[in-house]
Amino acid sequence: MNRKKGDKGFESPRPYKLTHQVVCINNINFQRKSVVGYVELTIFPTVANLNRIKLNSKQCRIYRVRVNDLEAAFIYNDPTLEVCHHESKQRNLNYFSNAYAAAVSAVDPDAGNGELCIKVPSELWKHVDELKVLKVHINFSLDQPKGGLHFVVPNMEGSMAERGAHVFSCGYQNSTRFWFPCVDSYSELCTWKLEYTVDAAMVAVSNGDLVETVYTHDMRKKTFHYMLAIPTAASNISLAIGPFEILVDPYMHEVTHFCLPQLLPLLKHTTSYLHEVFEFYEEILTCRYPYSCFKTVFIDEAYVEVAAYASMSIFSTNLLHSAMIIDETPLTRRCLAQALAQQFFGCFISRMSWSDEWVLKGISGYIYGLWMKKTFGVNEYRHWIKQELDQIVAYELKTGGVLLHPIFGGGKEKDNPASHLHFSIKHPHTLSWEYYTMFQCKAHLVMRLIENRISMEFMLQVFNKLLSLASTASSQKFQSHMWSQMLVSTSGFLKSISNVSGKDIQPLIKQWVDQSGVVKFYGSFAFNRKRNVLELEIKQDYTSPGTQKYVGPLKVTVQELDGSFNHTLQIEENSLKHDIPCHSKSRRNKKKKIPLMNGEEVDMDLSAMDADSPLLWIRIDPDMSVLRKVEFEQSDFMWQYQLRYERDVVAQEEAILALEKFPTPASRLALTDILEQEQCFYRVRMLACFCLAKIANSMVSTWTGPPAMKSLFTRMFCCKTCPNIVKTNNFMNFQSYFLQKTMPVAMALLRDVHNLCPKEVLMFILDLIKYNDNRKNKFSDNYYRAELIDALANSVTPAVSVNNEVRTLDNLNPDVRLILEEITRFLNMEKLLPSYRHTITVSCLKAIRVLQKNGHVPSDPALFKSYAEYGHFVDVRIAALEAVVDYTKVDRSYEELQWLLTMVQNDPVPYIRHKILDMLTKNPPFTKNMESPLCNEALVDQLWKLMNSGTSHDWRLRCGAVDLYFTLFGLSRPSCLPLPELGLVLNLKEKKAVLNPTIIPESVANNQEPVNTTNNHGQPVVFQNTFSNSQEEEEIDMDTVHDSQAFIYHHLNMLERPSTPGKEQSSGEVTMHPVSAAPLSVFSKESNSSKHSDHHHHHHHEHKKKKKKHKHKHKHKHKHDSKEKEKEPFAFSNSPASARSIRSPSLSD
Amino acid sequence: MRIALYGSKMADTAPGGSGTRSGSKHTTTPADNYYLARRRTLQVVVSSLLTEAGFESAEKAAVETLTEMLQSYISEIGRSAKSYCEHTARTQPTLSDIVVTLVEMGFNVETLPAYAKRSQRMVITAPPVTNQPVTPKALTAGQNKPHPSHIPGYFPEFPDPHTYIKTPTYREPVSDYQVLREKAASQRRDVERALTRFMAKTGETQSLFKDDVSTFPLIAARPFTVPYLTALLPSELEMQQMEETDSSEQDDQTDTENLPLHISTDLKKRMLQYYSRTPPCLAAGMGRRI
Repeated sequence: MNRKKGDKGFESPRPYKLTHQVVCINNINFQRKSVVGYVELTIFPTVANLNRIKLNSKQCRIYRVRVNDLEAAFIYNDPTLEVCHHESKQRNLNYFSNAYAAAVSAVDPDAGNGELCIKVPSELWKHVDELKVLKVHINFSLDQPKGGLHFVVPNMEGSMAERGAHVFSCGYQNSTRFWFPCVDSYSELCTWKLEYTVDAAMVAVSNGDLVETVYTHDMRKKTFHYMLAIPTAASNISLAIGPFEILVDPYMHEVTHFCLPQLLPLLKHTTSYLHEVFEFYEEILTCRYPYSCFKTVFIDEAYVEVAAYASMSIFSTNLLHSAMIIDETPLTRRCLAQALAQQFFGCFISRMSWSDEWVLKGISGYIYGLWMKKTFGVNEYRHWIKQELDQIVAYELKTGGVLLHPIFGGGKEKDNPASHLHFSIKHPHTLSWEYYTMFQCKAHLVMRLIENRISMEFMLQVFNKLLSLASTASSQKFQSHMWSQMLVSTSGFLKSISNVSGKDIQPLIKQWVDQSGVVKFYGSFAFNRKRNVLELEIKQDYTSPGTQKYVGPLKVTVQELDGSFNHTLQIEENSLKHDIPCHSKSRRNKKKKIPLMNGEEVDMDLSAMDADSPLLWIRIDPDMSVLRKVEFEQSDFMWQYQLRYERDVVAQEEAILALEKFPTPASRLALTDILEQEQCFYRVRMLACFCLAKIANSMVSTWTGPPAMKSLFTRMFCCKTCPNIVKTNNFMNFQSYFLQKTMPVAMALLRDVHNLCPKEVLMFILDLIKYNDNRKNKFSDNYYRAELIDALANSVTPAVSVNNEVRTLDNLNPDVRLILEEITRFLNMEKLLPSYRHTITVSCLKAIRVLQKNGHVPSDPALFKSYAEYGHFVDVRIAALEAVVDYTKVDRSYEELQWLLTMVQNDPVPYIRHKILDMLTKNPPFTKNMESPLCNEALVDQLWKLMNSGTSHDWRLRCGAVDLYFTLFGLSRPSCLPLPELGLVLNLKEKKAVLNPTIIPESVANNQEPVNTTNNHGQPVVFQNTFSNSQEEEEIDMDTVHDSQAFIYHHLNMLERPSTPGKEQSSGEVTMHPVSAAPLSVFSKESNSSKHSDHHHHHHHEHKKKKKKHKHKHKHKHKHDSKEKEKEPFAFSNSPASARSIRSPSLSD
Repeated sequence: MRIALYGSKMADTAPGGSGTRSGSKHTTTPADNYYLARRRTLQVVVSSLLTEAGFESAEKAAVETLTEMLQSYISEIGRSAKSYCEHTARTQPTLSDIVVTLVEMGFNVETLPAYAKRSQRMVITAPPVTNQPVTPKALTAGQNKPHPSHIPGYFPEFPDPHTYIKTPTYREPVSDYQVLREKAASQRRDVERALTRFMAKTGETQSLFKDDVSTFPLIAARPFTVPYLTALLPSELEMQQMEETDSSEQDDQTDTENLPLHISTDLKKRMLQYYSRTPPCLAAGMGRRI
């Protein structure tokens, strides 16, 4: 569907085109956390009979709407506020997900919908018919926003500027509607004028060029005027206001950095690198940075670490670091590079629809990968690709697949591309955060696959083409129809690829983009000596969830004595076995060097290998050109050769992982050699540490010599004259720094025959801590010390407990006493000399939890709860919360679970709220198949309420709550709920079965019961939820399909009837909304059968036929409705939260 | 005569007639001694005056009162005389100051010489002069240097030589690397432990064991108003180190190099920092939340 659309060019779902928008925020009150302002949208109708304008707006209190200076009536309806009717006893997730998807659809700007519906005053109808410009002016205010805009106001003395109070926009995907009314779609571009009046001590940072700043008459406030002439989607508009310190980039004057007070030195250091990223992207894309300026703002309590908006990026202040910090530096640089990549693809070039999101994420991720390769080297790049690949593979196998380009055509349930998931993938706002993360990961990996197919040169040409088209379009100031060139679609992208490269990549796209799942290979081989042939067998598992069948070429690399040879096998339906002729005829030639893949020739000790076979090692798909998991069997010596001599880091890492299964002295030697080899990539060496520890544990009875790695560590990092003392720290060489950090952590995993950590190792680590001396070091050792504490924690083994005795100090194990001594000291020292990002506190908290869990220290969440309070550094809070989550699980504590859930609802920091749900989902107190005292009806109700209405201000949080609900209770009705009453079930089940056999459960039907009853009894029902709303939408749909004049008339009627001030809320005037049981059931069918269509599109005729059969019923109902309308004034469908948003025009100010 | 007995009794009951302080047990300071002696002398004077006036005996309280009066009178004379002398910008009272004082206090000065030369007057022996308290020997070392000829004599004397003369020490510094590292490590550890224990003792604590709060006391976690500042900004100590290491670029180390010669100064610095520590946020008026 979308692809077809793309071919024809972009078709707006709206009956108008937005060309310019003014956002003016006159007043920001930090004390009250409120915002007052107005917006003015300049729109051109594209159809003659435009009478309603739908816009997006959430949370905003709208005072007054004027269209071309004429007061306009409006209604506000947001079904996402409360997804399911509050009276409903419905508790199954399937039902919720459907209802939620429907609710999001009902306000989806990409379907032409919105929460705010403005009626064009009848005086202007003629004007509209001539397709003349309309100016929609909306006065609004925001009071204590819970999402979209985040206020950080430290609680202390002083003015707001002195306190460092600030506010910034945030959110997941298109969330701009949370802070001003707009068309919150990535596909509706317009130019912008942004004005913010703030305290004179504050700075407002926003998109585009700062044209001027004007002081007010009393000089106490100033107004920042920003202009953004490049057409931009509202979703890419952002704002940050605070007493920022300002740094103009010394290398690029058009780049400005902002940070909170006192952090300027850190800002200077952190951003000193940014210009190189700029240069890199501009060079590979052969395109100048599209905006005239760029701003980076570092703020506290960030929603995400990096958020990219048009010409500015908002970062977490925690990314700032000084020159002494090693570990954070690459991470921060990565964030900067990511943000910048998204400036080109994501901000400047926007997407046509949600299903095209993968192109943008893919391209920005891909060019970010190129930057990584250039900056950190090929090894790091390949390691990263491998890591991402492993992640996506693991996730897809776990959940059943990530679909990059979902197509929602059919509308039939079985066509639902994501039926294996517990959420709808039709909208970004219904997606689980983890899914979205994996989605981005897959997107850039697929881009890399495309690059493999068409070459990087062509790839970059395609990007350049997209960018130059867009920049041509963006400069067409007065031809807004051209602006759709700035939107990328899947089909447009694929077309460019085929135009530029002349290659057909359709199979690749079909495999990885239009279809979900990864490939799972099992490989084994035999060497046929007579034929001198390698018989390779490659099996696939394509029946498990999340897998797919792969057909096509597959590269296999065979390292033989005579050299390395690539073979491309054709994987076909039924061929499992592949014969690969070997080149090396030779028995082994003594003293002959062996050529490697990269042309290098090396001496090898060949004594380990099979005398009959010339094979050293075999690799399947070495270039990672398939999204796959490979389980390959080869003998241990082959893995060892691969580890020692294969130059690809991915191969080395694979070999290390494989060697875990071969605890032999030879493996030990190979790993030790790698550890010592300085040319070897440091990450490989780090990985080897852990593998060595595992091997040593498996070999514990035959292990000779000192504990693994000890002598190595001594040789590398201890003094020559006194080997028990570590050298004073010198971290100039980062590779050895990382190794020095990791080795003790791995060593602590060693266990002796009693499965205890050897005393020698523990003393060794304690000595490292004791003699640690950082005075002469140029760099901070906080990460190193934190890892030493991690090492201590790793050394802890379960306490031997006699008769479940209570843990007290007296029976404390002496080793644990030593550990505890260190932890106490470290943790206390942190209060006096805090470390960067409090890494040491974080490690200490983790270690204490380990001690508790292993029964050395009484299990108690009190300490963690105090560290989890608001006001601690975010990393510390997360670590503490993680411990509480773990405690909740282990001790099955209802109280702590409640405490956590309260925090989810009340914590001021959105990230923390999100993270708690995330951690609870990853480490759940119980799961759906488990008996637990925690699983009770109250909890079900509580969580239900949380996702149903408690999280409407934050998409990500709501999806997090859905994830948790899914983990705890599964898709169907939670087992701990009492059984529904039987009679009712049968009764309604019958009806249900007639109408919709595919859709769930008896409980659905059962729980609709209360609603039905109320309606049947004719009690007043306020439109308050999706339920009734969707129903209404359904009606609209029916009507638009069939031009039911009566219904349109009815709608106009209700719009024309401005409610009298102060009265519209009164209970006496609530609509009577008699709905019989039959239409309700129709709804449930409707919503399921045609859930993916654009219900609200006036000119959408697609479903005409399908729905015809329901027409009669509906018509009947509408008539009924309109009759009712004559009697009853219209009541706005609103939940209590939005009640204040409805004001009649006459009520303004 | 009871008055003769009186004097010897005084030693037991003075000073101030409180009688609660028993001289033998109480350690007396030099100031106390002077006070006692003055008081006794005055009492003797009062007693002799009484005798002179013809009393045979007096009640203890009466003598005390008279002594008190006399003392006040003399003190007042002294105070007043001092004021007069200071009024005329002098430091030492002269005879005329005393005269004016006496006149001012309504005393007929003319009668004084006659009274002084009266025949029946009793002469009291001067109290024995105790030797000046010696300044403790410990604080003086060696002979103070006499003034050279070009410095006038009325200039102050040279201070004690040890305050300005370099004293060479003769102990060989320990240079064994291992010992030094060991020492540095344990010293630092001791300081840290003592300090954190102190902090834990004086402030709120948390404990991992419910039954024992003192063995592993954890300083209670207190939230900050601006948590990111302490988390991100390098501490002053680190800043110092930065400067130090920057000025002396780190080279490859050998064992004997980087001897921890600055242990003591370094520790001192740290200690100072611990105690007078103002977190950067405090300095900027952004304290912890209470």
